[in-house]
Order: sequence, then C-alpha cells, then structure tokens
Amino acid sequence: MSQKINLWRLLLKTFILFAIFNFAFTLLPFDSGSSISIYNNLIFGRERLPFGESPTQSYNLSLFDLDAMFASHIVTDTPKSENEYRVIVIGDSSVWGTLLRPEETLSGQLNRLNLSVRDKKISVYNLGYPTISLTKDLLVLEKAMQYEPDLLIWMLTLESFPADKQLTTPLVAHNIERVQKLDTAYDLHLDLNSDALLQPSFWDTTLIGRRRSLADWARLQLYGVMWGITGVDQLYPENYESAKTDFEKDELFHGWSPPELFLDQLAFDMVKAGFRITGEVPLILVNEPILISDGKNSDIRYNYFYPRWAYDQYRSIFSEMSLENDWAYHDYWDIVPAGEFTNSAIHLSSAGEAILAKAISEMILIEATR
Amino acid sequence: MTITQIAILAFVAIPLGWLTRKWQRVNLLLIISILIIFWLQPALPLRYLDFFLPTLSIGLTVLTWALTASPEVRHQKESKTSAVITLCVIFFLATTRYLNFDNFLTPTRPPPIGQVLFLLAIFVVGTFLLARQKSSSSNTLLWAGFTVLVILFIILKTPALALIASRGWRLFIGQNASLASSSDIYWLGYSYLAFRLIHTIRDRQSGRLPDVALGEYLTYVIFFPSFSVGPIDRVERFIKGLRQLESAYSDDILVGGQRLVVGLFKKFVIADSLAMIALNPLSATQAQSPLGAWVLLYAYAFQIFFDFSGYTDIAIGLAQFLGISLPENFKQPYRKSNLTLFWNSWHITLTQWFRAYFFNPFVRALRKSRKLSAGMMILVSQLVTMSLIGLWHGVMWSFVLWGLWHGIGLFVQNRWSGWAKTRLAGASLSTRTRRILSLLGIALTFNYVALGWVWFVLPNPSQGWQFILLLFGGA
Amino acid sequence: MTTEIIKPLSTFIAAEILRQPSREIAADEKLISSGLIDSFSLMDLALFVEDTFGVQIDDTELNADTFDTLNALAELIQARL
Repeated sequence: MSQKINLWRLLLKTFILFAIFNFAFTLLPFDSGSSISIYNNLIFGRERLPFGESPTQSYNLSLFDLDAMFASHIVTDTPKSENEYRVIVIGDSSVWGTLLRPEETLSGQLNRLNLSVRDKKISVYNLGYPTISLTKDLLVLEKAMQYEPDLLIWMLTLESFPADKQLTTPLVAHNIERVQKLDTAYDLHLDLNSDALLQPSFWDTTLIGRRRSLADWARLQLYGVMWGITGVDQLYPENYESAKTDFEKDELFHGWSPPELFLDQLAFDMVKAGFRITGEVPLILVNEPILISDGKNSDIRYNYFYPRWAYDQYRSIFSEMSLENDWAYHDYWDIVPAGEFTNSAIHLSSAGEAILAKAISEMILIEATR
Repeated sequence: MTITQIAILAFVAIPLGWLTRKWQRVNLLLIISILIIFWLQPALPLRYLDFFLPTLSIGLTVLTWALTASPEVRHQKESKTSAVITLCVIFFLATTRYLNFDNFLTPTRPPPIGQVLFLLAIFVVGTFLLARQKSSSSNTLLWAGFTVLVILFIILKTPALALIASRGWRLFIGQNASLASSSDIYWLGYSYLAFRLIHTIRDRQSGRLPDVALGEYLTYVIFFPSFSVGPIDRVERFIKGLRQLESAYSDDILVGGQRLVVGLFKKFVIADSLAMIALNPLSATQAQSPLGAWVLLYAYAFQIFFDFSGYTDIAIGLAQFLGISLPENFKQPYRKSNLTLFWNSWHITLTQWFRAYFFNPFVRALRKSRKLSAGMMILVSQLVTMSLIGLWHGVMWSFVLWGLWHGIGLFVQNRWSGWAKTRLAGASLSTRTRRILSLLGIALTFNYVALGWVWFVLPNPSQGWQFILLLFGGA
Repeated sequence: MTTEIIKPLSTFIAAEILRQPSREIAADEKLISSGLIDSFSLMDLALFVEDTFGVQIDDTELNADTFDTLNALAELIQARL
C-alpha cells in the first residue's frame, strides 16, 4: 500500500519539477545577440548561411534563429585584420548559390580572383539567403554590419520588391521582434499586424514552446560536424529541371496588368533603409542577371518571373530612383547568356557566376580605390 | 518503432499490467499481442501481404507448438480456448475490411474474408493433424519444421531470393511483377520469431522443453514488447514470469517506467542525434580526412549501441509494466577489456542462442571427433559461428566479412590469452599495472569492434576497404 | 557430499584450463561471467563432467545462468547423479 503512494508521489513530483523547469526557461535571456556554436571553434564556419530542405543529405538545414545562423558562418570567425578589405554580398538564392559549391558562388569566385587593393587583400563573404524578400535582406544586412564590412553589395531583382513578398518568407515571419525594431528605426511602413508574422505567446517562450528552435540549434551544430568532415552543405542532384523558357500568353505580374507598375506597391523604402543602415560604409546595389528566354511567347515574357513590360519598367524606375537619391547602382540584368542559367530564371551556373564575378570585381576595385 | 507507437504501447501496457494481475492473464496478453503485431506491421507494396504476414507469424507459432508439445498438453482444454480466441481475433481483424474502420488496426485494408478464412483453415487442419498424433512428434518431423523456418529466413534475408519471392507474390495476386524489389517483403519480427521457434524445436529434440499451453507459448513468441526488437527470451524463463508475479504492480510501473525513460532517451535523443553524424554508405565517400573518417566511425559505433540498447530498454520497460522481466541484451559492451567479454555483453540473447544451438554442439562434435588440433578447432568454430551471426543480419558479403572480422579477432585473442596465461601466471602485477593493462584492453577492443562496423555498415566490401584505407591515411 | 564433487572439478580447471596447477579456486568464485573460463574450455569442462561423473550437461546449459560457480555446478551434478 505504501508503495502505491510512493508511485503517485513520484509522478506528481516529476510533473511539478518539469513544470518549474519549463517555465523557468522563459526567464533565460535568448536575445543576447550571440549564440553558442561549435562553428569557428571546433570546426570551420560555413561559407554561406545555413539553409537546406533535405538536412540528412545536405548536412544543412533552414532555421529561424539569426544569431545561431550567423554564429555558424565563417564571417564571425576572426576580427578583421589591418590588411583586409572586407566585402559582404547579400541577396537571394542566386547569391547564396543554389546548385553551386561554395567556391563556385559569386563570392567564392570573387575570392578566387585574389583581388587586392593598396596592400589590402579583398575578402568577400557570402551572406545571401534563399527566398526573395527585401525585408529578409534588411534583417541580414543589419546583422552583417556587426562584422565591419568595408563595402556591401546588395544583389536585387524585381521579384523581391512587391509588397506581398515582404513578410511571408519564413525567416521574416519567425522574427517579428527584429522586424518591429527595423520598422520603428527606419519607418518601413510594414503591416505589422499581418497574419504572415507569427506573434509569439508566453507559452512559446517556455521550454516546450521553444523545443523546435532548440532542436534546430542542436541539429545545426551536429550537421556542422558533417560540414567539417565532408565540406558538403547542399544537395547536388545529378539532374534537375531547367528553368522554363516557354510560356503562356500571360502578361500579369503579381496581379498587375500593363501598362504601369504601382510604385507604392514596390518596396523601395527598404532600399532607402538599407542606405541608412549602412551609413558611412559604401553600399552598391546591383540589379542581378536574369534569364532572357528565347522560346514560346518570349516576346511577352522574359522568363517565369517577369513579363517584359513590368521588368523594363522596373529597370527604368530603378535607374531613375538611383539618380534621384544618388545611389551607387549597377544594372547587370543581361550580361549572362541564357545557356548559363540552371533551375531558375535567376540561378546561374558556375560559368555564369564567373561572368558576373568579373563584372563585379571591376566594380569592387573602382570602389575600393576611391 | 516510432515514438508515437511506443507511447501508445505504453498507454496500453500500463492498464493492461493492472488488469492481467486480476484476470485472464494469459488470454488478455495474447489478444493484445495479436492486435499489436498486426498494428505494428508496416504497410507493404505487395497487396494484402501486410495482413498475411502477421497471420503467418501466428500460424507458424501455433503449428510449432503443436509440433513440439507433448501429447498430454496438446489436448488440454485451455489450449483449445486459446486457439479459438486466436482465430476469433484474426477473424475480427479481417472483418474490419467490411466495417468502417479498416486501416486503424491493420496497416492497410485487410484481404477479402474468403482468403483469410482459407489461410486460417490451412493452419487449423495442419495444427489438428499434428495435435492428433498419439505420441510426441518424430525427430524427422521436428527437423522438417526447423528446415521450413530456416528456409523462410534465408529467403527473407537474401536480396536475390526476396526479389523472386516478391515477384512471385505479385504474379499470384495480380500486381505488376516488373515493379518487384528485394525490399518489398518486410516481415516484422520474423528474425526473432524464427529463433524463438527453433529454440523450442531443438529443446524438444533434446527433451528439455517444458510443458507449455498454447496460450502461453503464443504469448511467449509474439509478446508485443519484444516482438520486433528482441530480446530473444527462453520459453522456460518467460513462462515463469507469466505464471507467477514476482513484484507488486506499483514496483513494476516504477522500475519499468525508469527503464522506458532511459530507453527513450538513448534511442530518440542520443542515437538519433548521433545518426546525423554517423558513418553511412554516402558519408563514407564524402569524408575528406582520416580525422573526419574516425569521427564518422566512432559516431556510428555509439549510435548502433544506443539505438539497439535503447530499444531493448524500451522492450524491457514495457514488459515490466506487464509484470514480466525480460533478459538483458547489453551489459556495457564497450567497457570490456577483451573481445570475448565484449561478445558476452553485446546482443547477449542472440549470442547465447548461437552458443546453445550452434557453437556448443559444433564444438562438442569437433572435440569428440578429434580430427582437428586444438588451435584449428578454435579457429574453425569461431569463424563459422561468427559468420552465421553475421548472416543472421542479412545474407550479404558485408555481413559475412563482419562476422569473419570478429571470428579472427576472437581466435587471436583466445591464442593470446592462452599464451599470456602461462607466461603471466607467476608474475605478480601491481594493481596499477593491472588497471593500465585493462584500460589498454578496453581501448583495443573498442577500436577493433569499431573497425568491424565498417564492414557491417557499408554494403559493398570494396567500399569498406577504401574507407579503412582512408582511416589510416592511405586513401 | 558436494566437496567431493568440487575437488576434482577445481583441480581440472586449475590444471587443464587455467594451466596454473597450484591455483586455488574458491567454491563461490565466478567462473563464466568473469571470463575465467571461455566457451571452449566450458565444453572441456562439460566433457570432463560427463567422463568423471557420468552426468550429461546439455549444450543449452553451458552458460552463466545455469551455473557460474563450482558450488552451482556441483549442485547440478549432485541432482543428476
């Protein structure tokens, strides 16, 4: 009989202890801006931010904790030395390098050119992150400023401008606090009550509520071991579907029909905010190369993303705005031939990246010698 | 088993443990075990087979019982009751095809009732014929049963034969035979089931099998906590716990609960984390340096241990809820100072099975024939036994190599310790020296075992060799 | 009674298995689980028991669960004499 009581007591005690432990978790400071990491300690940091949809094969995963993500990146490794000219590139998956090995990406190829200026070695860091949204780029840009860049290059494309693209990307949706701060600091006029943004409840700050992000952190560390052992951070399929070059007679762009883009629906505010974030540090905007198709209805559309009218208009708006605001802006939209695109209208092959890297290296040298 | 399945099993086992203490212990355990082995069987691409395989598991068990039981036991009333219960449960499962909850207790929709009844009728007739014998089954008949079980085992574990079997079933049931694959037939629990059945057949032959009623026998073989992951208990040990409760219910819940929690932690936290960095056929080709290769290998060595021993803890914990103590399968194997001690503490119930039913008879025969020198006899029996243990995991060269690796290791260690025994017998070693020697032994044994896993985990021996070269900086 | 059984067993183990004729083996010393007697020597021991006492020890009984000490082995033999 007494043993029965012991059993129930034990269960009760376990439950109470767990509850205390669970709620004590809410008191722990998680937003200290840094994250414990085996990267850059036991193993080399990653050459690009963690992202991956098939973790077991790519030894990489997508998570939402920006601090943990940066802590795994090689850029956080060493403080900048005297003779380093540090360039950070941000942007979407074309910068991150879908289907490309780290050394084949834009940043990888720029580093392989061994550029230097006035005895300073130019080192280029890849802080691109897949998914297309200027708000996401801003989150990365703001964080990147901690790492003392001498120059920032922001690769952009029209698809990242529409207002409806801003908050839905997971990295933004799961980082409401950071987005709020950015919005207040730089007057972004974001719809912070949007359903796209996930509002954390008190429950989400407990151990149980945080289990997903804790598990993500742990997996990031473990896959780091695999990254260290194999140098693999992406799945490279032998076959993939090439970017579409034949299209329906469709002129719509994000629901807008010709002739005019709605300027107020394009997030140029974000670009302005980017310049305010970088302040004294030079920031160069680059309109990234797109696939110019030569297939069915390519007189109407350039590619899967863009009807010609919309894209042409975007280019002229962008160059006008740049003149008006005195932005450093380069338009490389057509420098890569159609054959050098891979599985999307913005993803380049290694040779395509080489063409782009050459153009950008000249741009960097001019900026760095200024 | 997934964590959800284990949680459900625990929720079933806790009240069941209480209920079976009061009422109908054997029959309740039997009914629940039958339901659960159908439920645990994964869905298969071969139509209806995921219903027929658990049915076969039960049918083979009943036939083996009728084959091995003594004439007096065969006609006990309680065995007849158990037979009727078993038939009713399977019949009920088959009828879910026509009720509105198919796919709930069975992995897919059960076959048409006629087919199920036909198969059951075969088993009933077979059992009836065996049970009708006036005396115990003849040795020939027992060997025939043994052979059937072994042949089934070989078919399932040999990829080429499994492919033929899959093709055959597809043709039989009217599916596209060109889609057949060697991994089509996943017969949950057969490896363990067959070894439990063979154990009773061999014990009947040596006259050591205790009298066991059908319900007890079936519960022993398909007991749900250990059905798919072992351990392989011995029937006389199992029925002791079945017939007589040894501890209070609350004690069982406490002890079993602790064991379950430890097992869950080992399997789902440690092993599943290690799995992310453990050696596998893909990562073996990707590792860029010897250091990295060793990390992969050690991670695998610990992953397989925590995975398997975690599952064993879960099985032991669940069984304890039901008042049954299953035998231990692991006793800190990586902390043993030589390979013999390692094999005394790794997958213990399997090695004991092989020792009792293969190694000992084999060595006894060799000893009596006196044809081989002592050294040769040890070499041959170690190599053959360990190869067979390798083949138990699958009929593939990689498993044979793994077995041979351990066979050679055991032989060398046996010779070495024989040599050392005579040399070091007089020497008085200080405790400190002994301690150091023991630590060296542990390190050597662990690394030997870890290197052995290379053959185990990489299905292609030449890939295994490449990886060994990489480990030692030669690739 | 059991001491009469233990004596020849312990002499056999010390001389033939351990090769240390002067070694004393305690009646409660663990033989199998400690690794003192390996699986080959265990068979030698079984054959010795058969020859000496005319008692059969089955292949399935050669394990630490059935007997791990001289005491336990002697009891097993005693029961079958």
